[in-house]
Amino acid sequence: MYDRKNQRNLTRTEKRRLVGAILELKRSGRYDDFVLLHREFYVSDGEDRPRAAHMTPSFFPWHRQYLLEFEKALRAVDPAVSVPYWDWTSDNTPGASLWAEDLLGGNGRPGDRQVMTGPFAYATGGWTINDGVSEQPFLTRNFGRPSSPVTLPGKDDVARALKDPVYDAEPWNSVSGTGFRNRIEGWGIRGSRGVSNHNQVHRWVGGSMSGAGSPNDPVFWFHHAFIDLLWVRWQKAHPRSGYRPGARTGGSGGDRERVFGLDEPMPPFGVAPSALLDHTRLYRYV
Amino acid sequence: MGRTRDATGTAAARRGVSRRIVLRSVFTVGVTAGTAAALGPVLAGDPDEPVPASGKARGTEPERFAETYRGREIRGAVTVVVPAGGRGDAVRAAGAADAVPHLDVRVDGRPLHIMRRADGSYVSDVNHYESFPTLLATARAAVDELGSAQLAAAPPRHGT
Ligand SMILES: [Cu+2]
Repeated sequence: MYDRKNQRNLTRTEKRRLVGAILELKRSGRYDDFVLLHREFYVSDGEDRPRAAHMTPSFFPWHRQYLLEFEKALRAVDPAVSVPYWDWTSDNTPGASLWAEDLLGGNGRPGDRQVMTGPFAYATGGWTINDGVSEQPFLTRNFGRPSSPVTLPGKDDVARALKDPVYDAEPWNSVSGTGFRNRIEGWGIRGSRGVSNHNQVHRWVGGSMSGAGSPNDPVFWFHHAFIDLLWVRWQKAHPRSGYRPGARTGGSGGDRERVFGLDEPMPPFGVAPSALLDHTRLYRYV
Repeated sequence: MGRTRDATGTAAARRGVSRRIVLRSVFTVGVTAGTAAALGPVLAGDPDEPVPASGKARGTEPERFAETYRGREIRGAVTVVVPAGGRGDAVRAAGAADAVPHLDVRVDGRPLHIMRRADGSYVSDVNHYESFPTLLATARAAVDELGSAQLAAAPPRHGT
């Protein structure tokens, strides 16, 4: 049992040890394995394949297990560290301490969008991108995407999602118009709503975070820890609601055959959503 | 972790490729008005709209473009693998996903990996968290996000 903290409350020492553990995973090659795993399990809902990670009900449990695996690797390096969360509804400016020299470094520079500050700047020698979408060997960010501006989601956007008493709904994919899961995952739905919450944050950070190699930016973990916390908040707000879908029945509609129900083990972990609903024996959010 | 990934993710990626190869060898490959039927819902479809019986009825053509956008050369084409000799209806009835449209989009000659969403829009490797109604819009958005960067020449190490 350990704590996951708000990144804004980390002490100088906690930041230094966290950064050190991340850099060590990178040096050993394990970090890049995590990047590739995320890339490989990104299946879109226009494809006729099982879909565990995105555009799917198991978006929350899959990423919970993915973060746990990453955190296990981090804690094998330094047992005192855990993944902090970034509450982007509060720390919503490029000046937030998150982006300072002692944690994640700042925005990319104009032109090639290379991150030039902090421990993940290319010039430090410790953060070369091997599995990015572009051939650039450095981390990139493009806050707010000035060419077509994006803002961070606000408290209202999150509150609206948390209010939905249903976890997920048919057709169990990126066009599910109701349900907490897609309201937080945040797929735009033509004629109804735009990109929001989780997806919107990926776009706001931009650069590496907007593409298939998004975990190349360590802010990925901070962002997904907050997404995980939002799932906890939703569970608390709706104690009588639960993960959907359940067992397969003849009448199941939509993409039911390609998604993971409550008791169906998700690849590559072999863990079912039902085993991940309660995080409290593992960690707590403070 | 590496082991489990090879057993599932990589295998899944390979399956996609080999399936296309099998279809190419069993069926003929064609891009005609008829093949557009399988593509109709991909290009202009509403998620609730049934798959049309005939491409002519819809009047949609596979998308194809080539232009210079912000100094970058972008090109795109869709080819659809369809069965020869009247078996097209069977494939169409099975849904557009089974017709395996092949999306070939390039930025300065480098392939941009693109996936379809259930509503017929497209997600690219550059813009993984939003989708676009056409391949052209997808390619332009990729150029916007890439800035001065070139796409990687090779697919990710385990993704082939
Ligand atoms: Cu994400």
